[in-house]
Amino acid sequence: MSGDDPSTDGDSPPDPGDGERATESDGDASASDSRWDAARRRLVRLGQTSVGERVLIALSALVLSMAVGTVIVLVAGVLATCRDPALTIGGSTLCYDPFFVFDRLFLGALGDPFAGGWSPLNNQFAATLRETTILVFTGLSVALAFRAGIFNIGTQGQLVVGALASALAVLWTASLVSGTLALVTLIPVGLLAGALGGGFYGAIPGALKAYADANEVITTIMLNFVATLVTRYLVRNHFADPTSQATQTRTLPDAGQFPAILFDPRTDFSILALLLALAFVGGVYYLLEHTSFGYDLRTAGIQPAAAEYGGVNAPRTVLSSLTLSGALAGVGGALFVMMTLGKFQTGIPSYGFDGITVSILAGNNPIGAVFAAFLFGVLKSGSNVVSFATNVPPQLVGVLRGLIILFVAMPEFFRLIGRRLAAGDPESGTAVTAGGGADD
Amino acid sequence: MEQAVHLDGITKRFPGVVANDDVDLAVEKGTVHALLGENGAGKTTLMNVLYGLYRPTEGRVVVHGEERHFDSPRDAIDEGVGMIHQHFMLVDPMTVAENITLGNEPRKWLGLTVDRTTARQQVVELAERYGFDIDPDARIEDVGVGVQQRVEILKALYRGADVLILDEPTAVLTPQEVEDLFRVLEELTEQGKTIIFITHKLGEAMTAADEITVLREGKNVGTVPADDITREELAEMMVGREVLLDVDRSPTEPGRTVLDVEDLVVEDDRGVRAVDGLSLDVRQGEVLGIAGVDGNGQSELIEAITGLRTPDEGRIEVDDVDRTTDSRRSRIEAGMAYVPEDRQERGLVMEYDLVENGLLGSQHAEEYASNGRIDWERTRGHAEEIIEEYDVRPPDADAEAESLSGGNQQKFVVGREFARDPRLVVASHPTRGVDVGSMEFIHDRLNGLREDGRAVLLVSSNLDEVQSLSDRLAVIYEGEFVDIVDPDAVTEEQLGLLMAGQEPDEVPSIAAAGEVGP
Repeated sequence: MSGDDPSTDGDSPPDPGDGERATESDGDASASDSRWDAARRRLVRLGQTSVGERVLIALSALVLSMAVGTVIVLVAGVLATCRDPALTIGGSTLCYDPFFVFDRLFLGALGDPFAGGWSPLNNQFAATLRETTILVFTGLSVALAFRAGIFNIGTQGQLVVGALASALAVLWTASLVSGTLALVTLIPVGLLAGALGGGFYGAIPGALKAYADANEVITTIMLNFVATLVTRYLVRNHFADPTSQATQTRTLPDAGQFPAILFDPRTDFSILALLLALAFVGGVYYLLEHTSFGYDLRTAGIQPAAAEYGGVNAPRTVLSSLTLSGALAGVGGALFVMMTLGKFQTGIPSYGFDGITVSILAGNNPIGAVFAAFLFGVLKSGSNVVSFATNVPPQLVGVLRGLIILFVAMPEFFRLIGRRLAAGDPESGTAVTAGGGADD
Repeated sequence: MEQAVHLDGITKRFPGVVANDDVDLAVEKGTVHALLGENGAGKTTLMNVLYGLYRPTEGRVVVHGEERHFDSPRDAIDEGVGMIHQHFMLVDPMTVAENITLGNEPRKWLGLTVDRTTARQQVVELAERYGFDIDPDARIEDVGVGVQQRVEILKALYRGADVLILDEPTAVLTPQEVEDLFRVLEELTEQGKTIIFITHKLGEAMTAADEITVLREGKNVGTVPADDITREELAEMMVGREVLLDVDRSPTEPGRTVLDVEDLVVEDDRGVRAVDGLSLDVRQGEVLGIAGVDGNGQSELIEAITGLRTPDEGRIEVDDVDRTTDSRRSRIEAGMAYVPEDRQERGLVMEYDLVENGLLGSQHAEEYASNGRIDWERTRGHAEEIIEEYDVRPPDADAEAESLSGGNQQKFVVGREFARDPRLVVASHPTRGVDVGSMEFIHDRLNGLREDGRAVLLVSSNLDEVQSLSDRLAVIYEGEFVDIVDPDAVTEEQLGLLMAGQEPDEVPSIAAAGEVGP
């Protein structure tokens, strides 16, 4: 499979012997020079891979990461001591069975599709989809900003603010309405409040970047801390649930929580939320590909000078794309409150940061984000299954998850770099010109 | 005479494309050989084969009588073949001497450190031997492109090159620098070096080369001595049909003023006054040309007019509406078409296909996007019309802009801008990098816009171009107009003096809004 990997058999002319020869006959500087050139050519080539090739690369990476993970689990199994070893190979005992671990991680997360009597409505699959749903939103949030050329590290903070805004809005509205009216208003109000809260919190770094030229990476990272601490303060001092020791708001009324349809209510998953997520995916895709605003945003992201030439108002595009990005994260936060928890509680899992990886994995493509979020969802819920089913320590499961994500995300990451290189590099343009333009 | 390079039956295929088709090329030692052809004729590909960047699909590479198989530029340099690319590969913060010796530095202390004194000495000697006037201690970032190019040449010589390939060496140079370069090339051949230079400019090939080989569609059309061929014959070889090199300009009656610029002051990125109190006006049905050595404020002037740079003082009016502080978008909507200087940076989004690029600047226009929703069908049709009308090759609207050759990129940008139904056309170097055939076409369209009653502001470093297209010709020097002259009456020598900031006697000067003869 790795033979199909274009990153290894790119069109770069130097053979393996070339590097050595260069080192012998010349100084180090030019040798590293030509190595850099070769590396760059490979990156640029990687940037030009087709969709089919990319899927193949991702699958190869997945297989490779599992192979490495297998070795790690085996070694860890030799080193660990346990009462009932899972494997015995040639007299030595191993505590963990890597095949069983991966079996649980993937098949467990889906609720064992190959076992008899499988239903897609099983609880473990619901848990996977629940995680997927929220990750779709944070992935979309990061992807949208990324398409505008903005690195939004603040999705987590925007999600937290959106989550609190949504919880408070639902609780407040619930005190005003009841019955059928509550049923039809609370969820929309919660979603809207989440979007507004997250959007507002995205607009802050947006305005700072647009009008004061403040680097959004710095401001969004900092604002994450601010969000966590301010929401903790607010909940603890102003909106605390008097009946609980935890730092949390009161529980939302049932009308303010996403209803469990088809799935077991105990799974805290609602298919409506997933459908909403898919609708947002469609919406973001449409926005990017079929609207003037999306065109402005993408152009500003790829080539700011050309965007300026084309009449794109750069500051306004920065502000609106970060606001929208924050709003998407905020809706994710609203769903976490209204579907998963039923209240706001401090210590929200790192959906926002996972969203960065989801987005990179998806090549910043909204539709790809669904699949990337699903892989993440599988790994998250599969980890729990592994912990239940085996005596493998959770830290080791974390290592396996990290490996898989690293292996799958890195080719995409380098592909993005390759595209940047190709865009900013007239040389590669010339090379293409020589070939591509020659048929006239 | 001895042959320095002999390419025998070179064929280079890329997936789906034959870039070179059985090309023979023989270059005599100690001569300048021009490789002439339109954009995409396969010139650079052929030289990349010789330089070891590409391996030929078929054919032999013979250097100094021996067949060679170059796997990389490193191999080519080892055999004395050096190439200077269009885009220089120099380290900006390092000095001239450091750049020249980089990677092959003389060493001392058992090879542990670079022997800078010897390195510098070697560079000085090398420069003296070939008659290069160059300061070995200047930093690359502080010297001009002309000097940088000479550093590239010295770098190749330092590595022992005796066959030098130059890819479009004059593209980035001013006319004076071009002359200097040609003198350098002459000096090099006198010392036994062999030069191959790639160009699509007829005049340069005829001036600088001993022999000219013309490539067309990847094939060798013929090799001719530069002395007994005319421009017209060469143009015909390149394009494959007869080419009209002069614009046939009929008289027009200029109408009312479209663009009116008063006392404009514009600072460049470093805060220096690049445009210094300049005024101009362009009327319907006339072309105002601006000639000048690059870097005398043309770029800043154009950017201020088109809305990409904020002027510090002065006023810009289009159709009697003050647009000094208007956004770029509202200027586009006011009917301003703009062919930018840098097509790859501004004029095109390199990662977009031509459909998306056809929309650039019109993405909010009702015609292509009603209520913010883009009509991709109509946009595609628009791009296809441009491709068809301007003969953009390959004729594929789904091709990404970066996959097109420079000349075809330029044709697309020009086509898109001219199709705006503009009141005012601002064209900055509209034919830069395009071949003669396309140049003829673009000139014809530009003239057509003029006859159609549009106002045209034209900036070009190509003197023939501004002279033949303009009704009035303004010469810019250090951010001011030295004079506005009648392009048909002024001589090239007089223009040269004006461009250097001197006011020669008896230049047929005309007032800003004076009577204009065709």
